[in-house]
Amino acid sequence: MSTAPAMAPSAAAAGHLSFVRVLRSEFIKLRSLRSTWVMLASMLVLFIAFGAIAALASTGAIDSANGGPPRSAFIDPVTTVLAGGGFAVLIMSVLGVLSGAREYGSGMIRTSLTFVPKRLPVLWAKVLVLIAFVVPVAVLAALGAFVLGMALLSGAGSDTVTLGDPDAQRVLIGTCAYITGLAVIGLALGMAMRSMPGAIATVIGGVLILPALLTALLPDAWRSVLKFLPSNAAAAFTEVRVRADMLELGPGIIVFTAWVILSVVVAAVLLARRDA
Amino acid sequence: MIEVEHLTKRYGKVTAVDDITFTVAPGRVTGFLGPNGAGKSTTMRMVLGLDRPTSGSVRVDGTAYRTMRAPVNAIGALLEAKGFDKARSARNHLLSLGATSGIGAARVDHVLDLVGLGDVARQKAGGFSLGMGQRLGIAVALLGDPGIVMLDEPVNGLDPDGVLWIRRLLRQLADEGRTVFLSSHLMTEMELIADDLIIIGRGQILANTSMTDFISSWSSLRVRVVTPEAAALQGVLASRASDFELLDSGALVVTGVEAAVIGQAAFDAGIPLHELTPLSVSLEDAFMELTRDSVQFHTGEVAA
Repeated sequence: MSTAPAMAPSAAAAGHLSFVRVLRSEFIKLRSLRSTWVMLASMLVLFIAFGAIAALASTGAIDSANGGPPRSAFIDPVTTVLAGGGFAVLIMSVLGVLSGAREYGSGMIRTSLTFVPKRLPVLWAKVLVLIAFVVPVAVLAALGAFVLGMALLSGAGSDTVTLGDPDAQRVLIGTCAYITGLAVIGLALGMAMRSMPGAIATVIGGVLILPALLTALLPDAWRSVLKFLPSNAAAAFTEVRVRADMLELGPGIIVFTAWVILSVVVAAVLLARRDA
Repeated sequence: MIEVEHLTKRYGKVTAVDDITFTVAPGRVTGFLGPNGAGKSTTMRMVLGLDRPTSGSVRVDGTAYRTMRAPVNAIGALLEAKGFDKARSARNHLLSLGATSGIGAARVDHVLDLVGLGDVARQKAGGFSLGMGQRLGIAVALLGDPGIVMLDEPVNGLDPDGVLWIRRLLRQLADEGRTVFLSSHLMTEMELIADDLIIIGRGQILANTSMTDFISSWSSLRVRVVTPEAAALQGVLASRASDFELLDSGALVVTGVEAAVIGQAAFDAGIPLHELTPLSVSLEDAFMELTRDSVQFHTGEVAA
């Protein structure tokens, strides 16, 4: 080390950009933040725990006299055991926002874009790495909630559904896809808005709460429009019994996917065009 | 080599950089000097393709930065002291950035040792002092072993030890044949580091010269003379001096003529001199003088 300090043999072979290398970079970024693991773990625990609590409440094992949902709410066993899905969606969309907007908060994005001056590979890599983190945990959480919840229902003598049931399969896969899709939308909003609070407010308020609110408040005539909103379109694959005025499975998948892609495209255009 | 040609950047009605042209040569330390808000950082961001020029162009080693396939080998930059995630360790920060270009742990650890952060490499960077943050930023700049090192206000927040360290480092980098380009708003600091000087004010280049030329053009211009025959001396120097100032003490300050010339002229005319003192203009003063009109926010204006 007595030679020129900035010289090192290891850099000789290095230097060239490749998409696989950018992927690795984004993987290290997400992996090296404790908040990533905290959120993934909370998603796993809350999803399963809420399913278990809902299952116990539906069988009367937990007294819901002091509030909580009435027993009549738990008609459908799949809906019951996946009661924690909403929390999972919230937590993962926030994780998405963090992985998109966090670098803007610190200013690190400018360093990142200095290393990857073509810019767009950074976005694609962020999306793929986020999906790679979210999907396995979402699947594990949904399956865990399903298996544990059904076991609890079965133990109490309530109706249960097996994994072979087509509706159960559709909703399980659909819920995982919805969680992942909203995480990606969160990431895209984070990149586009460059602000964690703004993007979190938008994804939670605009994507999750507002559509439900509008659907409840606006006259029925609006349903034909509102059913195209992301969360309503996703009802086609996240709800056991889809209401007749909502999109069917095929269109629901297409419309929700289109929202996810649109958000990423907007983020990409802004990333490519704006000053960093 | 950085080549900037007719570079202009406007934000709405504000012109941050106004048609500037300069070249930063390898093997030398080039200082980019100007008051805060003069356009230094904006220019550096345009060099890296972070901000798009309104007009004009920047080439790094002959190409536009955004099209480079191995950018980290070409140029390493420190743009902001706190440009890292507080929750991530210094080592992971460098590993994540290096990964984009196939730079691995060995190089990361080497650079961390080089900037003196080896012992705290695995601690969260959020706990770093401003000086340690600067060192981490310099580690980022050196990560790709680049031919050009570009640092925006690198001395900010460094302790005296760190300032000395960075001076030596930059000198060594330049001696290795690299292009070293650093900005500062402190003339005194530049005087100690830079070989060449590009002075910018209100987005325009005010001076582009070597440090030695800059010093010689600004110092020794005023000479303090004490003589019983001040009026006679003024007469002798009238054609050569640009200004005379008679101080209350009786001393005469001659502007525009070097001390040696005054001494010779006085000797030739038989005028006795009791004192002959070149008044070295501090470079700080020279810099202030040069940029006086181009400081964005005068303290005086604020008071109004």
